[in-house]
Amino acid sequence: MTTIASWAPVERKSAVAKPPSFARNVLTVSRRELRDAVRSRWFLLYTLAFAVLGLAVSFVSAAGGGGVGLSGFGRTTAGLINLVLLVVPLMALTAGSASIASDRERGMLAYLLAQPLSRTEVLLGKYVGLACSLLASLSLGLGVCAGVLAWRGLATHPASVLWLAALSFALALGMLSLGMLISVLARRASVAVGTAIFVWLALVFVTDLAIMAGAIALRLRIEELLALSLANPLQVFKMWSLHAVDASLDVLGPAGLYATEEFGRTLHAIFGACLAVWIVLPLVVASVVFSRRSPL
Amino acid sequence: MMWHVSILSVGLTMLVCGADLAQPSDDAHREHAEPTARVESVPAVREMGKIGAWIAAAEHGQTVVVPAGLYREHVRITKPISLVADGRVVIDGGGRGDIVEITAPDVTLRGFTIRNTGIDLDRENAAVRAVAPRVTIESNTLEDVLFGIDLRESPDSVVRGNVIGGKPLDIARRGDGLRLWRCDRTLVEGNTIHDGRDAILWYSTGVIVRRNVGHDCRYGLHLMFSDDVTIADNQFTRNSVGIYLMYSTGVELTGNRLIRNRGPSGYGIGLKETDRFSVRNNLIVGNRTGVYIDGSPFTDRQPGEFTGNTLAYNDVGMMFLPSARGNELTENNFIDNIDQIAVAGRGSLEANRFWKGDRGNFWSDYTGYDANADGVGDFVHESHTLFENLMDREPSLRLFLFSPAQQAIEFVGRAVPAVRPEPKFVDEVPLMRPVLVACADSAQPAPVVALAASAFGLITLGGAVLALSGALGSAGLRSQPPRPSASGVVAAAEEVDA
Repeated sequence: MTTIASWAPVERKSAVAKPPSFARNVLTVSRRELRDAVRSRWFLLYTLAFAVLGLAVSFVSAAGGGGVGLSGFGRTTAGLINLVLLVVPLMALTAGSASIASDRERGMLAYLLAQPLSRTEVLLGKYVGLACSLLASLSLGLGVCAGVLAWRGLATHPASVLWLAALSFALALGMLSLGMLISVLARRASVAVGTAIFVWLALVFVTDLAIMAGAIALRLRIEELLALSLANPLQVFKMWSLHAVDASLDVLGPAGLYATEEFGRTLHAIFGACLAVWIVLPLVVASVVFSRRSPL
Repeated sequence: MMWHVSILSVGLTMLVCGADLAQPSDDAHREHAEPTARVESVPAVREMGKIGAWIAAAEHGQTVVVPAGLYREHVRITKPISLVADGRVVIDGGGRGDIVEITAPDVTLRGFTIRNTGIDLDRENAAVRAVAPRVTIESNTLEDVLFGIDLRESPDSVVRGNVIGGKPLDIARRGDGLRLWRCDRTLVEGNTIHDGRDAILWYSTGVIVRRNVGHDCRYGLHLMFSDDVTIADNQFTRNSVGIYLMYSTGVELTGNRLIRNRGPSGYGIGLKETDRFSVRNNLIVGNRTGVYIDGSPFTDRQPGEFTGNTLAYNDVGMMFLPSARGNELTENNFIDNIDQIAVAGRGSLEANRFWKGDRGNFWSDYTGYDANADGVGDFVHESHTLFENLMDREPSLRLFLFSPAQQAIEFVGRAVPAVRPEPKFVDEVPLMRPVLVACADSAQPAPVVALAASAFGLITLGGAVLALSGALGSAGLRSQPPRPSASGVVAAAEEVDA
């Protein structure tokens, strides 16, 4: 730590002059978290997996149809949406759940909390750092996909790729938030990651299947069906991306048509609000729990 | 502070409203500034304008050439003459009533720009209305019209090369871009119709409709009780329904392109109680439902023929109501429709055939192979996907399309025979390769540069974050906790030190 670059001592001087601000502390923790994340294997693994799967999906859906020269009708994006729905929540949930819990096991948390940092600062710093690493992973993965699609001349609208990247990041933020909450609550890292995978399974498969079964068994009306599916952040992400790419949800049948007709332009706001709740709420709860409970 | 904000916002609001209000009045000024009689002074009973006077002076069979300019009048052609525009001739209806009315047979109207009809749906204000046979309406541009060309009992007419643009009204308040009422043997060719309600044929036999373009209308082309109609090489895009055939007999649909017709109806081609029809070599892409079949063919005199069509990327490729029976599908390409073939409700497809002799169809979801390389798959194509069946029964479940849960259901349907549904239909001779389609020009040019730019942007963003993290080898906090032996003391010493 004595061979560190030039700005660190400057910060220390200013720290003597006036106590470091909340934002600066968060930034310091987040930088360390980002650096660690990028150096760790999971980041590399997820980025690679995401890029490779994304490429496979893009090729299959863009070149599908026996080469009759019809593409660019949104199927590539639909395939990518499907992939994001599977991979991104898994990435963000495991990354989030591992963060605090594994630090606690390694003794890192004790070290961090021994610094002149509040617990909220530590939590938020870790969140920001991990979010940055997810941003890097997602944009690299989707960027490579878009690059190869462009190189092969397969029609995909650039706006839809950019929307997909932005919305995937929003979804990742929400799932990261949830993962951090799990991490704060769990005592051991293995328990935290296990819980995260269980939650992932529930969000990806169980919730949707349950709503489907309910729709058939209880003869749900379409507005009820829509409201129920808005509770699942993955569905929100999916509907939002389809809406952004196609400006209409009629591909999703009666419920999608109902949403388009009834809410029209406010759909962006509705979906945004739903995802924002998933980003903010678990993080706030995690912060409260982390501050109240004995963290070690 | 609050005051300032509120005053500012009120001011802004007024500014915006003012701008909105100013818009139409500006238009009005421009209209009035043009060197002609005031619009308001045109009485309900039509005064004879310049063109009217020339028509009155013309002999039967003569050609009246109208010099370029703006004419604010309502024209009535009462004798068999040719009215031809020389240069840009604009006939402006001033937002009221019909504009050109043809009451004599054998009239030709060519090259005019006709604009600004009334918006009275009860009186069906039209840009051009003909009530006599054998009229030729050619190369006109109709702008801002309620009804475009309205032919009433004008058999043997020709409507060719016109551009018809409707008023920007709500769909329920628009008129038909083109309407033929009892106009047998009429030729409708090379017209472009947009932002109207329908292009519709009523009780017209032997009409030929070819090489027209229709977009952003309700029905691109609508047949009501019109027999022996040929519809060829038209393109209908972004309408509610591309071509809707109702109660008509003997219709040939060939080489049309039906693209992105969506919305609550959203059919590429709809067939309702239509008989003796053939649908060949059409390109049907990106519609909500590619082909919708309700009670067609109506009798069993002739099977409904679907040959050589390409149905791709539709939400539903072909939708059969339970009343649809006696259709034969051969050599069509079914490519990546979310639901290739659907039956509404709990109907059955038993009365329709999906292959004939040794000619089946190409199915992009066919999973078999072709060991003897004869171009025909060695296994029959049976469609039994569990989720499709669920969707057919419960359309609201489409909400879960593109989600992993959908794929889980499909997987279960494939893996567990107990829940596998009965096959919806069987194609015993599925084709291994799509039938060639001549549609290469329909592929939109790929926005490669923009795509590459966005790819570059994304990679740069990711790289920047990585570079940032790489530059942070110097962050103020260590990555490893200090050795337990030295624990807190060392850490504290390091932090305080230096």
